Amino acid sequence: MLALLGATTLMLVTGAPWVLPAASGGTNLKSPENGRVCIIDDNFILQWNSSRESVRNVTFSAEYKIPGMDNWKKLPGCQHITSTECNFSSVKLKNVYEKIELRIRAEKGNSTSQWHEVKPFIPFQEAQIGPLDVHLEAEDKAIVINVSPPGTKDSIMWAMDHSSFIYSLVIWKNSSRLEERTETVYSRDKIYNLSPETTYCLKVKAELRSPRRVGFYSPVYCINTTEKHKVPSPENIRIDAKNQVYVLQWDYARENTTFRAQWSHEFLKRIPGSHSDKWKQIPNCEDVKTTRCVIPQNAFPEGIHRIRVQASNGNSTSFWSEEKIFNTEMKTVIFPPVISMKSVNDDSLHVSIGAPKESENKSVNQPYPLIYEVIFWENTSNAERKVVEKRTDVTFPNLKPLTVYCVKARAFTENGKWNKSSVFSATVCEKTKPGNTSKTWLIAGICTALFSIIVIIYVVKVLLRCINYVFFPSSKPPSTVDEYFSEWPVRNLLLSTSEEQTERCSIIENANTITVIEETNPIEDHKKYNSQTSQDSGNYSNEDENSESKISEELLEQETV
Amino acid sequence: MSAEPDVIRKCMWPVCLMGLFVTGILSLDCNLLNVHLRRVTWKNLSLLRRMSKSFPIECLRESKAFELPQEILSHTQPLTRDIKEAFYEMSRQAFHIFIQDTFKSTWEEKHLRQVQIGLDQQLQYLEQCLEEEEENEDMREVAEDERTQSGTPVPQLRNLELRRYFNRIDRFLKDKKYSHCAWEIVRVEIRRCFYFFNKFTALLRRK
Repeated sequence: MLALLGATTLMLVTGAPWVLPAASGGTNLKSPENGRVCIIDDNFILQWNSSRESVRNVTFSAEYKIPGMDNWKKLPGCQHITSTECNFSSVKLKNVYEKIELRIRAEKGNSTSQWHEVKPFIPFQEAQIGPLDVHLEAEDKAIVINVSPPGTKDSIMWAMDHSSFIYSLVIWKNSSRLEERTETVYSRDKIYNLSPETTYCLKVKAELRSPRRVGFYSPVYCINTTEKHKVPSPENIRIDAKNQVYVLQWDYARENTTFRAQWSHEFLKRIPGSHSDKWKQIPNCEDVKTTRCVIPQNAFPEGIHRIRVQASNGNSTSFWSEEKIFNTEMKTVIFPPVISMKSVNDDSLHVSIGAPKESENKSVNQPYPLIYEVIFWENTSNAERKVVEKRTDVTFPNLKPLTVYCVKARAFTENGKWNKSSVFSATVCEKTKPGNTSKTWLIAGICTALFSIIVIIYVVKVLLRCINYVFFPSSKPPSTVDEYFSEWPVRNLLLSTSEEQTERCSIIENANTITVIEETNPIEDHKKYNSQTSQDSGNYSNEDENSESKISEELLEQETV
Repeated sequence: MSAEPDVIRKCMWPVCLMGLFVTGILSLDCNLLNVHLRRVTWKNLSLLRRMSKSFPIECLRESKAFELPQEILSHTQPLTRDIKEAFYEMSRQAFHIFIQDTFKSTWEEKHLRQVQIGLDQQLQYLEQCLEEEEENEDMREVAEDERTQSGTPVPQLRNLELRRYFNRIDRFLKDKKYSHCAWEIVRVEIRRCFYFFNKFTALLRRK
């Protein structure tokens, strides 16, 4: 019993989830699939696929959520839709750059399917450029085109791109499709160089530059150009800046015509809508009879402007001429740079380009980056070498020595729309140094130095030797003497020049007394003589010396007496 | 003498190099324009400063943080093209704000005109350069592949951040009904934005 109760409760509990859906009524509703959005300008369209079971009386509803909302909100315009697409443009999104989440579910009676979530998206990224509103006005040789930007004036999607659209148009003569022209125009622009009394057809598409987005071509519009106007428009407008004025000139074939010129800001072209009231009269160019007028430079503010000229012959006026764009920056005068050149080695010259100077002392503040064109040539020949440099120092290598080279330069600034260059600077000439001079002189100098050092050393040595010889003689005998006289005493005798060796001698007898003694006693004399001689013989050498000294002494005595 | 042909031969190499250099110079025209761009940006900054004598103190309490998305260009190696595109987007949005002629009473028309002209000049310079770059379609695709691989933010996201920033400014103006104070606050904010972008013109020149 209890077991049975337990079993039934168990069954009920497990069976409940199955039972309940059956109670809510019938088969499970499958949620829709493949939800996607299609946004064209400010039209938001949500599309989806219903499940395979094509069950009748199924409706769909959607909800949305944007950052800052806690709960899902009902998507207006997408509640209980029977088809598979709905338009929810009435959601006034404040910000098309925020991510939106959408979800859809199917409904039938009281039952609903699971929510199918659409991949979150940013409306601006999914938006496509819608159809354009084109107005055309024909002149004789031009067509005025007026394109309204995509979306309405209060468009939320293109609110910030209002002035960023550009339009690419293809125009052709109705008669021959082959002569097609593609042009890029602003919202209000003119297409020139057309033939009068011809039917032209065109189609336009809008483009956004960034992010890159291209719309679809509009339907084809055709218009007839008018017949050739009695009073033709001026042509070939050009403007030039000279001194402190602008000179505006144009071409006109006829005589007796007055002209007037107007100007407008270039940036106004970007802003859609007609700006016919934004053209201003140029001073000095109203009712002029000639095809030129001179305008003071302060007539235009700094910037990019447009100029147009109209001719009038009293009765009627021509169409406006082609608009000429001009940049007031063209009036800036670029002065020639100051260059100097010097020879660096024997085979190269270094050129330095200095800042341009208006006059001697006044230096010019040049706000633009300048490129310099340097022309370099050998003085005698005409072969010129042209170099375009951004730096202010140029070196020309591999030149011939002892040759005169000349250089001149000019500065210019290169802009996509206009080139402006200065006149050439003064020519500067410089001679290169003689060839191989430095090397030769260097080597020669070193050699001479070495040689002279050696010579000096040698001379000094010789001098020292002489000095030593004279003032500090050496006591050693020359080697040859050494060989022959090996006995020491004789050598000593011969070589001792430093001191005279003398023996002490004493006189025994005088030579005069000896002859007297020989007459008286010859025998005794012999004995005495012998003794004397024997005595004398031992002393002869000395006596000689002594007698010499004695004689000299006697002489001295005699002299003194 | 054989000296002359030697000299001519020696001169050929530098001349050839010069020829290459010249073509290199001519194709660097856009880099020159970016120096112009720096000059024009700086001029616009000073014009914005001079538009009003001083910031009215009573407007301080209405000021709002617009959160300039600095991370868009703080990435370590932004590509030159990315900088140019971001700059272009910024210039365009600033131009869009200043051509809304609902502030005839706030500033002198002369000053306003100068700012509008200056911003237009900025746009013209950028358009020229971006057009030249677009001609190299293949290179751009290759660059895009590289970018997505390396994980750097895709340019669309970057521009989207800028748009959100300018949208905040736009909505602020609308909510405050283009009052004098609102315009003054916006003027200061745009100046801040220009200062931030001006730093990156230096990067453009290097590349």
